[in-house]
Amino acid sequence: MVAVALLGAVTHQTLAAWATVDARPGSFFGRFRSVPSGSFANAVVVLYVVSALLGAILYLYFRVDVRPELERAGHWHVLGFFDLKEHFAAIGLALLPAYWVCWRRPHADESAQTRTALTSILAFIVWWSFLTGHFANNIMGFGS
Amino acid sequence: MTSSASFRRFAFAFGTTFAILYVVALARDVALFTVFPSLGVVLAGTHHTRDVADPAMGFLAPAIYWYGWAATAALGALMLGFVAALLPGRWTRAIWRGWVWLVPALSMIACVYLTLPWFRF
Repeated sequence: MVAVALLGAVTHQTLAAWATVDARPGSFFGRFRSVPSGSFANAVVVLYVVSALLGAILYLYFRVDVRPELERAGHWHVLGFFDLKEHFAAIGLALLPAYWVCWRRPHADESAQTRTALTSILAFIVWWSFLTGHFANNIMGFGS
Repeated sequence: MTSSASFRRFAFAFGTTFAILYVVALARDVALFTVFPSLGVVLAGTHHTRDVADPAMGFLAPAIYWYGWAATAALGALMLGFVAALLPGRWTRAIWRGWVWLVPALSMIACVYLTLPWFRF
């Protein structure tokens, strides 16, 4: 549930950040953009931290119970994708203070480029983690 | 205003430095500590099961380095972040702010490169 809420918040924020400023007010992107994106920042930070903490706890069980099974079955690609998920998640966690500052304490002389880029990186990490986690979870089949 | 500016410098320095140090920790295998979840043991530094037991017995005591790599990078990034927060604003004004996203993006590419062996099987 935490991961799904995080996916929704960061995806909405990223699309709104990339949407053109001159979108028609009544259009889909116009309505999309009219939601103040900055208000998502606190939620994204909290949800990301909670997801990372839960993931770090679950990782103990993954390493002992799941990963040896994947190794025995020769799912090396899945292990590679999962390793990348770990690395990306750690880098994303460290980006949260800068991300928060860019959205909640923006500088007048600062372009939106930094904010948009940071949000896009976080969105990529969240989607990668979500999809890889599900893929690793499902590859051994239901009930395995 | 001053504390806000200091936190901004800390945040930008922390995110950038962490991304660099994490790749260094990963590439050089520098973990602040190693966790052996099946044994319930945490050892300071990097410890490989193969160093103390037959490699074939590694499955009995799987090791986790990820926490240690992240801790190594976080420690270094915290130190540099605090230094950046203490610096006068005029010293850091000229630094391009885009480094805060470009460096992590490059670090992620470096992580992909370091993970490539998994995809060669």
